[in-house]
Amino acid sequence: MEAIEVTDLRKAYGDTRAVDGVTFTVRAGETFGIVGHNGAGKTTTVECLIGLRRADAGTVRVLGEDPARRRRALAHRLGVQLQDSSLPERIKVGEALRMFGSFYRNAADWRRVMERWGLRPLARKAFGDLSGGQKQRLMLALALVGDPEVVVLDELTTGLDPIARRETWRLIGDLKTAGTTVVLVSHYFDEIEALCDRVAVFAHGRVEATGTTGELIARTGTASLEEAYLALEGADR
Amino acid sequence: MKAFTALTAAELRLLSRDPASLFFMVAFPLMLLVLKRGDGGAVPGYLAMIATIGGMGALPGLLASYRERKVLKRLATTPISPVLLLGAQLVAQVAAGLAGSVLLVVVAIAVFGVRAPGDVLMLAAAFLLCSVMVCALGFMIAAVVRNTRGASLIGMLVMFPMIFLSGAAVPRKALPGSLRQIGDFLPLTPAVKALGDAWSGTAASFPLLILAGIIVVATAAGAALFRWE
Repeated sequence: MEAIEVTDLRKAYGDTRAVDGVTFTVRAGETFGIVGHNGAGKTTTVECLIGLRRADAGTVRVLGEDPARRRRALAHRLGVQLQDSSLPERIKVGEALRMFGSFYRNAADWRRVMERWGLRPLARKAFGDLSGGQKQRLMLALALVGDPEVVVLDELTTGLDPIARRETWRLIGDLKTAGTTVVLVSHYFDEIEALCDRVAVFAHGRVEATGTTGELIARTGTASLEEAYLALEGADR
Repeated sequence: MKAFTALTAAELRLLSRDPASLFFMVAFPLMLLVLKRGDGGAVPGYLAMIATIGGMGALPGLLASYRERKVLKRLATTPISPVLLLGAQLVAQVAAGLAGSVLLVVVAIAVFGVRAPGDVLMLAAAFLLCSVMVCALGFMIAAVVRNTRGASLIGMLVMFPMIFLSGAAVPRKALPGSLRQIGDFLPLTPAVKALGDAWSGTAASFPLLILAGIIVVATAAGAALFRWE
């Protein structure tokens, strides 16, 4: 079964064609990576997936639904971590988790999510007083408090220190074990290699290639995902 | 409903953690009352002032910061509508203003022996409409001015002349004729009048209708112009 199907997605802002014919599918239970340079169309694609933007053309289906039309129904089954979004400065960690939990029909126990993500010692700390890494961890926990079937994570570990990154990887691994579908947008090739079943390489608003890390490396005759990416991205210039 | 309650509770908690809001909506009007030696005639105006400080002094900057810092965008990815947050914000501001107002009225009556309001029901109606109206105006400002600092500044720039010229902070009788004429066109003036009339027990429904009209127009304008990001 496909959890996500994107077919010939197009989205322009004025004269800039941010997404120019993107097609890919994500299978249920799969961890799917999206890599690409800045302005490759990754975030716009993600925003179409979660119903924040309406595509100019093409179709998007998430769990069989059109996110642009059924955003709110779909949101109950979707967990999202956005690039540099935030919370009110004075809200406390525990309050934020409890409040977000109240938004979802089948929410997980927010206390358990807090425990799991190591946020319990910070429960009474205000968002504005958290370090960058702690904020990121909270935003990730908030993405999971609704017990989603599909999780979309934009810039998963940006701002985390190496230990926190590894810890986050482990937790993403747990999601995979639990059968959750994960879409991971990242700049870090080690992260994609470690976590993702398949990868889509975005360049200039298009998908340059899709496959497992091994397939992409074999196809480009390179030695690593990073080199494969550079070869694919360079071929487009 | 569960989500709305949670949002409203969170917004009220946030307001109670904001020292500026607490001071201006609770302590400041009490100070003015003491300075005026418990002049009962000033109290209805102060009620309008308390509401205005929340709705126009605080609300525009708050909404603009939620937009600028992508709090609204994050909420838009959850099953709730971001409109719910605006509603929660409104309820929280009205409730905070009400708390400050009740305290002021109780102190005025209990400590300074001010005569109790003549028509409590109409006073409550006037306060509610006044509160919602200033929040609608604050929402309109946040819709027009995009960044946080700008929205805060414009909110203040509109609020201060308005509380002085509408009779909220000082009686309109004390103003020179030309300034009083400007006051005739300010939306807060009918609110102060409605509150004063209700207090003295001579409430008329016309000022309330004006307030309701302003609420409808400001909300519609705000909704048409507001951008979520």
